[in-house]
Amino acid sequence: MNPSNLLSVALRFLAKLYPASKRWLHRFHGGVFPQYYKSLSATQPIRKAFIPEKLILPLEQPVGLPAETLVKVGERVKKNQLLAQASKDPQKALIVPVHAPTSGTVMAIQPMTLPHPSGLQDQCIVLQPDGLDEAIVNALEVDGSHPGSPEALKSTLLHAGIVGMGGAGFPTYAKIPNQRGKIHTLLINGAECEPFITCDDLLMQTRAQEIVQGALITAHALGASKIICGIETNKPEAIRAMQEAASNTPVEIRSVETVYPMGGQKQLTLELTGVEMPHKAHAVDLGLLMMNVATYAAIYRAVVHGEPLTSRLVTVSGLGLNKPFNIHALIGTPFSALAELAEPKVTLDYPLVMGGPMMGFQVQNNDVPVIKTTNCILANPPEPVAMQMPCIRCGECMQACPVNLLPQQMYWHTQAHEYDKVEKLNVFDCIECGCCSYVCPSHIPLVQYYRHAKSEIKAMHAEEKATELAKQRHEFKLARIEREKREREARLKAKKEAVKKEALAEESPSAKKPEATAKSAAEAARAAAAKRAAAQKQSQKSDDSNNPPIPPARLKAIEAAKKAAAQKAQQKNEESSASSKVNREPPKSEQDEKKPDAKSAAKAAAMKAAQKRTQAKKQASTESASEVTSAKKDARQRAIEAAKKRAAAKKAELQPMAEMETEQACSDSAFPQQADVKDNTTAATELTETTTSTPASEKETARRAAIKAAKEAVAKRKAASPSKTEQTENTATPKPDEDKRKKAIEAARNRAAQKRNAANESQQGDK
Amino acid sequence: MNRSMLSSSPYAHNNQNVRKVMMQVQIAAFPALMAHIYLFGFGIVIQWMLAVATFIVVEYSMLKLRGRPVWPFMSDLSALITVTGLVFCIPPEAPWWVVVSGSAFALIFGKHLYGGLGYNPFNPAMLGYAFLLISFPVQMTQWTMPLDITGSTLGLIESAQIIFNGAAHTHTMDMFTGATPLGELKTSLTQGVTALETLNREPYGLLFGLSAWAWINLAFLLGGLWMVLSGVISWQFPVAFLGALAGMAFIFHQVDPTLYPPVSFVLLSGGTMLAAFFIITDPVTASTTPRGKLVYACGIGILVYVIRNWGAFPDGIAFAILLMNIAVPLIDQYTQPRVFGHKLKG
Ligand code: SF4
Ligand code: SF4
Repeated sequence: MNPSNLLSVALRFLAKLYPASKRWLHRFHGGVFPQYYKSLSATQPIRKAFIPEKLILPLEQPVGLPAETLVKVGERVKKNQLLAQASKDPQKALIVPVHAPTSGTVMAIQPMTLPHPSGLQDQCIVLQPDGLDEAIVNALEVDGSHPGSPEALKSTLLHAGIVGMGGAGFPTYAKIPNQRGKIHTLLINGAECEPFITCDDLLMQTRAQEIVQGALITAHALGASKIICGIETNKPEAIRAMQEAASNTPVEIRSVETVYPMGGQKQLTLELTGVEMPHKAHAVDLGLLMMNVATYAAIYRAVVHGEPLTSRLVTVSGLGLNKPFNIHALIGTPFSALAELAEPKVTLDYPLVMGGPMMGFQVQNNDVPVIKTTNCILANPPEPVAMQMPCIRCGECMQACPVNLLPQQMYWHTQAHEYDKVEKLNVFDCIECGCCSYVCPSHIPLVQYYRHAKSEIKAMHAEEKATELAKQRHEFKLARIEREKREREARLKAKKEAVKKEALAEESPSAKKPEATAKSAAEAARAAAAKRAAAQKQSQKSDDSNNPPIPPARLKAIEAAKKAAAQKAQQKNEESSASSKVNREPPKSEQDEKKPDAKSAAKAAAMKAAQKRTQAKKQASTESASEVTSAKKDARQRAIEAAKKRAAAKKAELQPMAEMETEQACSDSAFPQQADVKDNTTAATELTETTTSTPASEKETARRAAIKAAKEAVAKRKAASPSKTEQTENTATPKPDEDKRKKAIEAARNRAAQKRNAANESQQGDK
Repeated sequence: MNRSMLSSSPYAHNNQNVRKVMMQVQIAAFPALMAHIYLFGFGIVIQWMLAVATFIVVEYSMLKLRGRPVWPFMSDLSALITVTGLVFCIPPEAPWWVVVSGSAFALIFGKHLYGGLGYNPFNPAMLGYAFLLISFPVQMTQWTMPLDITGSTLGLIESAQIIFNGAAHTHTMDMFTGATPLGELKTSLTQGVTALETLNREPYGLLFGLSAWAWINLAFLLGGLWMVLSGVISWQFPVAFLGALAGMAFIFHQVDPTLYPPVSFVLLSGGTMLAAFFIITDPVTASTTPRGKLVYACGIGILVYVIRNWGAFPDGIAFAILLMNIAVPLIDQYTQPRVFGHKLKG
């Protein structure tokens, strides 16, 4: 007798005196020792097969997406025939095919209530068995050889429709890793720790060979060297049967303490291997793979006999039944049909439970079908529920928790709606085993609170994300509006000055003055631009400190776009107003003038230009009034039009390189307004800003950043309801402008009057 | 509870409930009650009945006032444990209004004003005890002399007369009351008598040479052990408390035996065992984490020793417990157990 055995014997003796010491016999913390009631069904032989009047086959498994039907209503199908399968790549989509459990006719394909806590309804194939049970032998067309690679095994498992049969129902093919040798230890879960359930126990007693062979097949394909099976000590017959089947194989059968929840994946893994799975890690990454005994048996039947998974061993038990039993039930058999076979003591007017009493759930409708994860159908008559008392902080729950959480603290914080604290207490590590609720002397439905807290926290996080996004967008918008305001002011000021100077120049005509004026105007614009750039940088810093690299570039791009749009609108007005006049030249010449000026181009025909410009100014001033009144309201649309018009004109003109660059930068910005932005970037101020205030290298990096940022922004925006964004932006922008606009109109009108006088005078003088 | 609560797993329960837990505590106090009656007479029975009457009246009216269902909350018996704990701290022949006001204070200010069972930060019994110690210091220190000193105990009738009228025909207060050994020790030390002398001078020694107080303490220990074994209370509390207290006593007794009494006296005098198994184990006001329980009980042990030897009160249990009650949230925060699969933090 080795020391550990001695210790366990000593502890077992101590447990008689001090029951809590039973918890020291297993490796994980806590656990409870419920009444098992296993003999109710375990003592009965497995009941002979039973074909119900109808079978309900859900297209969707507990985990994954629905399969697509291959049969039509009225079609006759044979047992094992494929009824539905995935058209997409199942490796990614987690779709499990559906096979006919027996021969019969497809009656309907319609939504039916599924065994799900929420009473979920989903598309099901309803099959009316004909009782002949005509089968397709070797439906999977296997040759019975053991697959040598994970891929081969996975493909068979996929086509057999095998999912984890212990509880979660995760598709088995998706659970198995692709690389051979990644799994070094294969674990067989035969613990079956839930009260009442005996289906795994009986399966091990009757089909030990299949389980062991299934495990060997899997180990062979995956290259696993070790196979360990854990069975709770309260199933001595199963242990014996399995040991017999495993003799002369590498499969090691180990008995583990009878304690709930021994069958939990992490708990049994710790018990069998000593490995405590780190938080959030996957067993597969640790080289461990655990599956339920029933899953291994199904693997064996699929690989060796080519049988898809169409039936499973189900325990039908409970205190409300006279003759509990286990049965190889066809998938799709309604719960009520099986429960009726067990002779209920009173009519089943209470909900049945799928699974055990600790982790199972009440079904919303007793006619829900047996699915691949249904290990037990429990009929326990409802008991009067003890009143919920306040938590007395006794700590029983904490001592029972197998995850070593602080259930009472999580409960207090959940009650106080302090979900952030609940999350900090690691509520997401809670396996919802129910141990805490089981022992709570105040009868607090703790697990219910944690489920609620989990869903609240998830919702909270989703909301947080959304608000963060909205906040960013809002701040961004405010900054933009502010900037636009400043821009407009600066532009108006610059223009006003230029006009004044020009007016002066006209009065004393000389060849050089117009150029000088233009230069000074350009300078003013440049200064304004520099100022703006500084302000912008600052605002970016303060606005988007949490996301610095993206918004600045993006803001720049937007700014440029906006400016361009405004400028375009203005110029378009110029043009349209000009075209109505006799002389079509002036607006053009103004353009021509401005650009070469900025670039220090040819100076020829200054006089003529000056002359024309005065005319243009006259129009420009009247137009500036109209610009503020109407143009801005729909600046974007006009900009497009203007751009289109101008595009033709531009082709004739030689575009300065700088301009091209600006254009490119703007088009790359890919902001939602990008379409408008793209074409119109000829604004003089824009040019001066981009060409003079920033060195080329800086610009280059900025542009790159802008491109990247813009792309990201677009992606984000697409995700977050794009139409809404567009709307809010459209409606929000004009508002702040309203006041300003009125003032501007006023100012512009005054100016226009003044200028007209001045221009008239100079024109007359010229003549 | 609504339907969704009912329809949620688990559908099984170990059938433990608050009332059963409280009942077990009450039963565990039974040996001590018997010893008390034998050694100090029937005074405690009258006191206890007075306390129970107070508990019923106070609980009923408070629950009514707070608009809570009366029966479920009264039948949880938590108030019974509170008053029982308090009664053991009150001199058996103290006037009736002492226990009545103490119990009422404990329940009203110690529990209901905080929102009832489960929400009170301070141990209600100890709050009531502290209230009495401060308000009625004379009555609270006049302990009935135990059997081993007077040679006889008062009968039920005599006790009742003293409790309700202040004196019986045959006895006056002074004839049968005096200081407790702890109080005696304290007074003697201030008069320059050494601890050993005081302890030897007293005619302590009943059965097996143990004093009445030691016997009471042993009776509590017996009931307490049963509670530990049956899982009603956590072993951490008594182990850490008694360990810390014994450790302190041992160290200081080694340092100066004339000033500091021996370990055995410290552990078996005053309310040591009552506190160890019945008072500090009150889950509502104690730390809840396993390590926190050790820290909490340790702290009380040290404080009790400190107050007994250097404080103004002969027995410092009430104040030591109340002080540690304040520290509970902090202790809980820093002693969170390591969650499965997580690294230890905090
Ligand atoms: S349900 Fe969660 S909190 Fe409760 S015992 Fe299980 S794991 Fe711990
Ligand atoms: S078991 Fe219940 S009463 Fe005890 S601490 Fe946990 S939640 Fe509170």
